[in-house]
Amino acid sequence: MIGIAAAKKLRAEKNEWAGYLTEDVFAEVIRENERINNLPEALSEDIQEQNKAYAKKQGISGIATLINHSYSAWRDYDYFAIDHISAEEAKQVYTKRISLLKGYLESGEERFTDAQKNFLIGRYESLKTPFYYEYTDGWEALLQNISTFILMLALVIGFLVSGIFSDEFQTKADSIFFSSKLGRNKAVVSKISAGFLITTVLYIVFIILYTVILLLTLGADGANCPIQFDLWRSAYNVTFFQAYLLIIVGGYVGTLFAALLSMIVSAASRSTATAIIVPFVILCAFPFLSRIITLPGICSFFPDQLLEIYLDIKEFDLVELGGKVMSVATVIIPSYMVVCIFLLPMLYHVYGRAEIK
Amino acid sequence: MKLELHDLTKRFGEFTAVDHIHMTMHNGVYGLLGVNGAGKTTFMRMLCTLLKPTSGSILCNGKDIFKMDGEYRKLLGYLPQEFGFYPEFTVQDYLLYIAALKGLRPAVAKKRVKELIPRVGLAKAANKKMKKLSGGMKRRAGIAQAMLNNPRILILDEPTAGLDPNERIRFRNLISELSEERLVLLSTHIVSDIEYIANEIWLMKDGKLMHKGTADEIINSMPEAVWECMVEKGMVSDFIKKYQISNMKSEPQGVLLRIISQKRPLPNAKRTKASLEDVFLYYFGEKAGDENAEI
Repeated sequence: MIGIAAAKKLRAEKNEWAGYLTEDVFAEVIRENERINNLPEALSEDIQEQNKAYAKKQGISGIATLINHSYSAWRDYDYFAIDHISAEEAKQVYTKRISLLKGYLESGEERFTDAQKNFLIGRYESLKTPFYYEYTDGWEALLQNISTFILMLALVIGFLVSGIFSDEFQTKADSIFFSSKLGRNKAVVSKISAGFLITTVLYIVFIILYTVILLLTLGADGANCPIQFDLWRSAYNVTFFQAYLLIIVGGYVGTLFAALLSMIVSAASRSTATAIIVPFVILCAFPFLSRIITLPGICSFFPDQLLEIYLDIKEFDLVELGGKVMSVATVIIPSYMVVCIFLLPMLYHVYGRAEIK
Repeated sequence: MKLELHDLTKRFGEFTAVDHIHMTMHNGVYGLLGVNGAGKTTFMRMLCTLLKPTSGSILCNGKDIFKMDGEYRKLLGYLPQEFGFYPEFTVQDYLLYIAALKGLRPAVAKKRVKELIPRVGLAKAANKKMKKLSGGMKRRAGIAQAMLNNPRILILDEPTAGLDPNERIRFRNLISELSEERLVLLSTHIVSDIEYIANEIWLMKDGKLMHKGTADEIINSMPEAVWECMVEKGMVSDFIKKYQISNMKSEPQGVLLRIISQKRPLPNAKRTKASLEDVFLYYFGEKAGDENAEI
């Protein structure tokens, strides 16, 4: 079975296990896994038969993943951990998550300050358990791939807005434009509004389209399940839907920032070609820069990070400001929002004061 | 309507494009005559608030035009030398767009566009794309956009450049027709464009206003006389080296020269009435303006 029918079947299989993942459920999953492992198909030497046995595990695969994570080393994932633990041990899934973190923080593999360590442990301990489980594959696929989609969208939007402020210069209609009554005030505001509207409307429409198509295809269940089903080590205590909102808000701010910079360059350089390059530099060249230069603290604040909020949710990217520890996403999103607000009057000033030589 | 220019100067680095111009203008047609590079376009761009003066000021009815901002531009109609447009727009859409930039309400804009299109002879081309128009038609669309807000100040920078003689005459008549009860400043390097329609002519050279007055006053200001004489073809080059020649005409008997000179160039030379073209040649020379053509 392939395609949408397969997704539907998988969804039905997984949702048979929908509900709160209590200690008893984990124990039940261990027993079910053991039962399947002892089926003749699983014990067969024939790979086709083994595949049939594996297929029977798809219903419990979501929960089995959690158990495997809990009984794997910190930076590792043991696909067969579930086969080696007892039903009693499986009851420790939630506490194992916390103890694994503590072990990792004490190992000295990464350099965290005490405040950061306390922040992470606090986040882990405050995560509400037991988790509510249901099929989440649609949301997982959405969150894993949406960053690439946002990047492409941001580049297209940057391309579209790059000519808004340079068109008059390129067509030599600038003299008439700026000598008209509204040419240096209301018309400039209208142009800024047009850029803002193009960015916002296109972003919202295409994000909604992408989301709806993907969730309609793979299923929209699991919006309220914790993100840890996909990102087990995440220090964000959010649901899939909340993580999705954070990712698209970050993406929007990044897209708006790139579009505004593109418009400023378009107004200042009077060249559409130059302005088109700006979003590429900001969103595509910066990630390479962050690989070349070893300034991890600074690279986390590059604007391309706004389009990589998924990675921020996945990893421990922390920042300490005035003794307060925060995740990078919660700092860069509002910071770049403020920057965008400051860019608006700058754009107005650059274009509204243009001289025609 | 009164425009006052006080010590108006514009410099681009070391180069002075407009040099301490002091002038007052009222309603009427002003013809700004100068070779390419004389500073006409820079001067006009300052009047249109497209360029800020390096020093000096421009007052409209006593107020600084740069402080008046939109209130001044509301009074302004401008046809630039390089007339840019939106190639995909039809004439009608283009005019409606410019009307919106000029702050005209949609109903008023539609009415004005409807009035102006036939007035500038573009009735048949109203729905044609701007890029499909001939040079003359584009210029007419340009004058229409300048007139949309019924401006009190109309500034036309080289409006007849690139037009054929018929179009130029037609355009001149149109400007003359539009010039009532407003201040029109028209720049050109083609003498005949302003000879008959300008109330006052300004001669501009190297950023400075050299002379001003009516066509007759300007002509009378020339200290030289104009002579016509017939010479043999072989002697023409000698005369070109020795005198300023404003016209040459080949005839069966030889070449009829129009010479600007204080002294009679030949005993048989006849003194004739000077024209504005002779004055232009006298002040600007034959090769002036080959450089800095865009200034």
